[in-house]
Amino acid sequence: MEIEVTGAKILFELPFGITITETQVNMWLVMLGIAIFCIWLTHDLKVRPTSRRQLVAEFLVKTTENFVTGNMGAAWKGFVPYIAALFSLAMFSSLISLLGMYPPTSDLNTTAGWAIMTFVMITFFKIKTNGPLGYAKSLTEPIFIMTPMNVLGEFATPLSMAFRMFGNVASGTVVSALVYAALAAANNALFGWLPGILGEMAEKLPILQLGLPAVLSLYFDVFSGVLQAFIFCMLTMLYIASAAEKE
Amino acid sequence: MVIMSATLDFLSVNVWHILMAIGNLLILVLILKKFLFKPVQNILKQREEEISQTYGKADKALEEAESEKELYRQKLDGAKAEADSLIESASKRAKEESSEIISAAREEAAARRRRADEDIELAKKKAAEELKGSVSEMVIGLASEVVGREIDEKAHAALIDEAIESLGE
Repeated sequence: MEIEVTGAKILFELPFGITITETQVNMWLVMLGIAIFCIWLTHDLKVRPTSRRQLVAEFLVKTTENFVTGNMGAAWKGFVPYIAALFSLAMFSSLISLLGMYPPTSDLNTTAGWAIMTFVMITFFKIKTNGPLGYAKSLTEPIFIMTPMNVLGEFATPLSMAFRMFGNVASGTVVSALVYAALAAANNALFGWLPGILGEMAEKLPILQLGLPAVLSLYFDVFSGVLQAFIFCMLTMLYIASAAEKE
Repeated sequence: MVIMSATLDFLSVNVWHILMAIGNLLILVLILKKFLFKPVQNILKQREEEISQTYGKADKALEEAESEKELYRQKLDGAKAEADSLIESASKRAKEESSEIISAAREEAAARRRRADEDIELAKKKAAEELKGSVSEMVIGLASEVVGREIDEKAHAALIDEAIESLGE
């Protein structure tokens, strides 16, 4: 038996070698869903709320605002939509696997893109706070010889973030596939010896595959998906907030 | 555009896909800003304004009520003082009037008594005169009977009167 673990399916190919894969299409679907949900939440808002819908909208806005300002400080209120977008996109991109669709976060390109955004912002705020010279000087500390190490350290941050999220989500897919295949094999071994048509039917009935994959999916898809989105946002906020602090 | 059935490798790096992930994230930021944060923040701001307005109105109303209360209290005090003075003047006038009435009544009574006294005196005098007249006539009559002669009535009347006068005193 052969188990194949692959990346996203390529759906279209555009000019200049641009390919559109499941990653992009599913992410667009997630974005579309979030957009529709937001429009539905915030249509017909009233100063004196009468609908539970509006209370949910206000709760979401206030919670994300408190989340961001609580971790970064009150001066970072303008950063709230970015963190909200990052968290919702990462979370629902992972949760989409519950619907049997390919999760965009198990594509390294996705998490790498987001990690590069974080890296760009970290570097931007470091340079903005300390000046280009101050930033360059901070790389040579404590002694000049440490410079290559410091530069490596700068790049390690986004790299680890990208691989952490990709690894968690993708490994969930891999583990799920492996367990499913193993259970199918066990199913065959257990019921395949039954004589005649009974054995053939039992082989095709996924009896052992019934319980365990659901529990694993609960962990890998739901828990891990939400947790990794949360961790990614937390790290982004903490790195950027500390980058903007004067050294 | 060609429809493909191939897949990417499990671990693949594609610059376009990285750029698209970044672009998607930024687009979602705009979507959330426009459709979630802006409207809700607007509403929250409006609500804050409405609340502060309501508080302002309430404060103003309270202030007005206080000043009106003060005004009414002053008015009430004035009314009380006025009523007091009214009652005082009325009772004063009543006293004056009653004393006037009493003194007038006294005067009248005194005058009546005086008049009555005068009347009595007059009547007394009159009765005395009459009595005097009739007594002198009787005496003259008796004397003339006794004496048997005519006494000069006029001459002797004066004498008798004198006698009675002296008797009467």
